[in-house]
Amino acid sequence: MSEPQRAKAPDAGEQAKVGVYICYCGGNISDHVDVEKVRERMETVPGVAVARTNMFMCSDPGQELIMEDLRQGRINRVVVASCAPSLHESTFRSAIARAGGNPYQYEHANIREQVSWVHHGQAATDKASRLIAAATGKARTLTPLEPLRVTARRHAVVIGGGIAGMRAALDLADMGVRVALVEKTPYLGGGVSRLVRLAPTGEDAAHLVTTLARRILEHPGITVHAGSAVTTFGGYVGNFTLGVSPVPGACAPAGETWPGGYVPGKGVLVPPSPDGGAITLETGVVVLATGFASYIPRPGEYGFGENAEVVTLPDLIQKIGGLEGQRGGTLVIDGRPIRSMALIHCVGSRQIPGIHEEDANGHLNEHCSRVCCTSAINTANAIREACPQTSVYELYRDIRTYGRGQEELYAKASGNRVVFMRFGADQAPVVQRGAPGSGHPLKVTVTDQLTFGEELEVPVDLVVLATGMEPGPVADLVEMLKLPVGADRFLLETHPKLRPVELPIAGIFLAGTCQAPMDAGETCNAASAAAVKAVSLLSKGYVELDPFVAEVDVRRCTGTGACVQACLNPGAIALETMDIDGRPVTRARVTPALCLGCGACVAVCPENAIDINGWTLAQYEAMVDMIVSDAVCQDSGAVPETVGA
Amino acid sequence: MTGVNPEFVKRLEPLSADLGSACFNCGTCAAICPLISEHFPRKMIRYVQIGAQDRIMENARELWRCLHCGLCTQTCPRGANPGEVILTLKRYVTSVWRKS
Repeated sequence: MSEPQRAKAPDAGEQAKVGVYICYCGGNISDHVDVEKVRERMETVPGVAVARTNMFMCSDPGQELIMEDLRQGRINRVVVASCAPSLHESTFRSAIARAGGNPYQYEHANIREQVSWVHHGQAATDKASRLIAAATGKARTLTPLEPLRVTARRHAVVIGGGIAGMRAALDLADMGVRVALVEKTPYLGGGVSRLVRLAPTGEDAAHLVTTLARRILEHPGITVHAGSAVTTFGGYVGNFTLGVSPVPGACAPAGETWPGGYVPGKGVLVPPSPDGGAITLETGVVVLATGFASYIPRPGEYGFGENAEVVTLPDLIQKIGGLEGQRGGTLVIDGRPIRSMALIHCVGSRQIPGIHEEDANGHLNEHCSRVCCTSAINTANAIREACPQTSVYELYRDIRTYGRGQEELYAKASGNRVVFMRFGADQAPVVQRGAPGSGHPLKVTVTDQLTFGEELEVPVDLVVLATGMEPGPVADLVEMLKLPVGADRFLLETHPKLRPVELPIAGIFLAGTCQAPMDAGETCNAASAAAVKAVSLLSKGYVELDPFVAEVDVRRCTGTGACVQACLNPGAIALETMDIDGRPVTRARVTPALCLGCGACVAVCPENAIDINGWTLAQYEAMVDMIVSDAVCQDSGAVPETVGA
Repeated sequence: MTGVNPEFVKRLEPLSADLGSACFNCGTCAAICPLISEHFPRKMIRYVQIGAQDRIMENARELWRCLHCGLCTQTCPRGANPGEVILTLKRYVTSVWRKS
């Protein structure tokens, strides 16, 4: 079977003049790659007009080298050989655009992560040469492309009515974007309404929730759909369509009316959605603020479920509230005096395979929940200060009171005579019924590293488990919106530093604890960041997308539909009837804004009628030709030695 | 098994100017102590924190090796005054010994 002939890559009618720019990366690359030798080799490669080096190509002088060559007409294609493209590809594309070139006539060669960080010696220099030569091979065939431009609705849907959702909605609305806030309960407030005093400032949670909720409800640019959930999702950045339906049973309890004020543990009651039934929201962006769930201990974990005197920290916080009326010296809970209590840290957090038991779904929470240390210490301080006759023991593995004002809480706890005990991960404290006559219903036995490994027996009236934060129950949204999820099962951002509130799906943003455990302050930071990112995306009225999407050559297409079957993003490619040479025929058509550019359709097309713009098969072939060519360096036959191998 | 008694520290309070509540068990005091005795005075301070009265009485002899040089108090990063805790324990042991 003969391979169908592929059309030659068009050359835009001009002679390709490739500029190659090789970075030292301040020694990161040049310590292992002979950069000047690579430059000499590149000067001999066909199509290469200039080859230059710089200590830091991403610096202003480095970018200026490229821009000056473009302005002088010495080059019309650019190859930069430096770090991974995820770091600086966009830097160099924008430099090209500023110099008047087409930013898509650019190819990036990664000679740091893929070469100098993993190889050394002659082999490193040779591998770098081949990778850059391959990039020049592709660059020669790159045609000018224009970014895809889609109109964007100046409207945002925020999913989740906790402080993250409220903060994001307010910020968006204040910047002139209409907002629909969808919350599945009838209340605004989320996780913060289950708290009382926020660490480390002592701010009143009810006041915070009430203030935000009032501003939300009074804002003319925000519509709240409470007691509703997103049930369908479609479209693409700038043009999403979400179906929102009432959640069965999510109506306000009888007797509670709006404006109902603040309900502890729930939040601020919202009037029911004016539409009542299912509605459709057309929006430009979506902000996910779906929050977290508290870990629920397994039955028997530290005596939980078996002893009424074992409770979780979130439950205790709600039970004791602001400790009003607890001024008698000894804490009283459910009529029972608590003379001595133990708080156990890291319950359901920092779990270790082989030591901790997996949940019913085989999951372990290996992450640190970050906020429970401070929350536990904050609660211990509140109790010790209001009820000095109640002794408090904190049993921990490690204490992490990170952040402004939080270490002070720990110092304050020492001053309040909270007694800390430290246990090893594999030596968890044991909670048992107290000995008859001991006067305490429970005893906690712990091998305490702070007492030189001695086994301590602590008689207590209450055991409190500082349970961690888990991802909220958003499996339906993950499925519907195709959201990436991390190993910890929280929603996963594109890059923790370079794109911290964005997802690979353009137009969807993360706000707050749906992404990772955060305290209330960090949650608001993240939510404001998401709002600003969303507004900057919508500000022009249109959205520009990279043009690396599939394109069908209708002359070659025979309408087999194999591409439609293979497509990973339903709707991105479809068969339709069109008129060709006066005859109606069935051909594939791409909706560029939906196309992921994955190439699945290219691989299955029996007619080779599809290509990805900027990544055509001809361009791949040009790269492979250059990799195997001995034009830049002779094959030494040596296998590159890997650093550290 | 070491018993923990939250009441014990209350008995020491009238005898003490500082019970080392700021201590976070770092061990700087034990490192600087010229006695170079195992974990002295850190261990005694820890026993005060958890109220391990029996352990203190078992090891009471160690208290009288202290030279009161003051290095531990001078170097404590938390300002917890370990020297005063040792003095307090001596006062306590003496008072109990008198009664018995």
